[in-house]
Amino acid sequence: MVIIAVMLGIFGGVMAMGIMQGWIEQRIHASIYNEISHVQIHNPKFMYNEEIQYTIKDYGKITSILDTMSGVVAYSPRVKLFAMAKTAGAATGFTLKGVDAEKEMQVSEIYKNLVEGNFLEGEHRKPSIVIGSETAKNLKLINYQVTQGKLDSINREDFPGEVIDQISKIGAKRFRNENDFKSALKKVLSGNDYKRYANDLAKYFSFYRTRASIAITLQDKEGDLVYPVFRVRGIYKTTNTTFDAMNAFVDREVLNRYTGLSETEVNEIAIISTDNDAGALLAEKLSLRLPEQEVMSWRQLSPELAMYTDFSTLISYIYVIIILFALAFGIINTMMMSVLERIKELGMLMAIGMNKKRVFSLIMTESVFLTLTGAVAGMLFSGIMVAVLSRTGINFSMWSEGFEALGYAAIVYPFVTWQNYAGVTIMVIITGMIASIWPARKALRLNAVEALRTE
Amino acid sequence: MKVIEIKDVEKIYNDSEVQVHAVNGVSLSFEEGEFAAIVGPSGSGKTTLLNMLGGLDNPTSGEILIGGVNIGKLKGSKLIDFRLYNIGFVFQSYNLIPVLTAKENTEFVMQMQGTSKEKRNKRVTELLTAVGLGDRLDSRPNRLSGGQQQRVAVARALASKPKFILADEPTANLDSKSTENLLDIMEKLNREEKITFIFSTHDARVVKKAHRVITLEDGKILNDEIKD
Repeated sequence: MVIIAVMLGIFGGVMAMGIMQGWIEQRIHASIYNEISHVQIHNPKFMYNEEIQYTIKDYGKITSILDTMSGVVAYSPRVKLFAMAKTAGAATGFTLKGVDAEKEMQVSEIYKNLVEGNFLEGEHRKPSIVIGSETAKNLKLINYQVTQGKLDSINREDFPGEVIDQISKIGAKRFRNENDFKSALKKVLSGNDYKRYANDLAKYFSFYRTRASIAITLQDKEGDLVYPVFRVRGIYKTTNTTFDAMNAFVDREVLNRYTGLSETEVNEIAIISTDNDAGALLAEKLSLRLPEQEVMSWRQLSPELAMYTDFSTLISYIYVIIILFALAFGIINTMMMSVLERIKELGMLMAIGMNKKRVFSLIMTESVFLTLTGAVAGMLFSGIMVAVLSRTGINFSMWSEGFEALGYAAIVYPFVTWQNYAGVTIMVIITGMIASIWPARKALRLNAVEALRTE
Repeated sequence: MKVIEIKDVEKIYNDSEVQVHAVNGVSLSFEEGEFAAIVGPSGSGKTTLLNMLGGLDNPTSGEILIGGVNIGKLKGSKLIDFRLYNIGFVFQSYNLIPVLTAKENTEFVMQMQGTSKEKRNKRVTELLTAVGLGDRLDSRPNRLSGGQQQRVAVARALASKPKFILADEPTANLDSKSTENLLDIMEKLNREEKITFIFSTHDARVVKKAHRVITLEDGKILNDEIKD
């Protein structure tokens, strides 16, 4: 029983640890490779209000340093400003980033998260803009239409036949927003079918209106308003809906035509290093070399991310400690029963010359052995599960909206290091030893003569 | 050579209202190689005396010297170690360790003493063969009859060549054939190994085999007979 209890406890603890670490690891990766990078350099004055006239001084000198500095994998210069965007049906605001596409793709994985179009490829008469899926939603650039093509390719395992027959009655009308589409669904579906399938149908029959035009309002470096128009040629979707709503990308050279900035005038240089620790170290080195610039590491740009990194392991271990605490009582109970059932045997052992030290270590060793056996079984089992789930992921997409609002992925890939397994093993051994002290002391207090008389 | 000297030993139990003299001024000695039985009715003090001889209980007064050592003065781990190296036990209900084989049970005491594996193997094989279990070395107690288990217990008691062996009612749970076999083996080993055997018993067959019979009554020696 001890072995099974420990096995299940360890499995639960390691899986909880793996899921939590996986979640946090994914959040950190997404944050760094989509949002903040490892290091950012700014003009100190830019950090107050993000006004574009506060560009980084000595840009040429800085890029020469970055080109040769160890720890720098890639960097991307950016112009950054707040802009208002308007379409025929809606308006919204976001941070507009002017980037060099090639360099940007070396520091950011936004281009990997495209759901439509491309990332600033080619030259066009009307310049391109890449927006987030939430921005597309806000600007009503997501339309809904029951097309024949989509009806033909619908997965009949996801939607029953009668539902598909009903929705075909909607026809090929295009709906500009989700509410209108859902209203149409309500008219053709029964109450239960609507409740069950409306969200998934909206998702399935939605499409982005790429090539839509967006009118942008922004301030140039003199403070004057300018009104460029861009065409949506790329839409991305990350695991952070807030980021998706607040960031859009255009070609820097194009943006400079409107802002009046020159090639060497940038607001931000985003840098990627080899790993998170190297990034933090790089920021320190750059701070010393560029004292007149504002150099910030990812830990400063996102303190909550730094906290997750620092505390995620600790919090995981706290979960495991709680589980082991409960297990300890199970071990105590079982070992106590074991001692009470073997009173006569223990009396005999003491009679023939087993001293107290040996009796004590006999009970302790048994307990540790049982606990360790259960732990090894639990870790083997959880190791297999983590190995499988780290490839397939655990799907929490039923709650994806909530997760993505906080910046977390809805599909989590659990992640456990060998150090975690080693740490848990040590904790299990310690738990087994501590839990066996009371039963062992009980054994020591036995009187050999009385014990031998026990039936 | 005197292995055991018991000098005016008393054991008094204080019940709530009454004092019980379980052993009342017993003086005895045992030579090397004796095969002795302590007999008497229930409550005569046999088991109490045996427990004191084995260092499992302390006399209220008097001395017990084993190999010249006053075991009443030994405490804690010193007493336990003394038992380990000097005294062998055979219990009424065998008390073998159920998860160990006959071989492992027999060598258990030698292992605790730190004897080398080679010496242990030799001694264990020798003893288990002598008790007629040479082909059952790897059998666990649940595969052995009562008589066979008791023979393993005897082998275990002898394995470390103690100064003497205390056997408390060793035949009580055996049938007559097993009892005869066991007593023959014990007598043989007593002769060959020259180890003193002291029995506490009601069994007439044990009394018949014993070379010396000490009769106790009400905690006192009633009779001490050495047979020719």
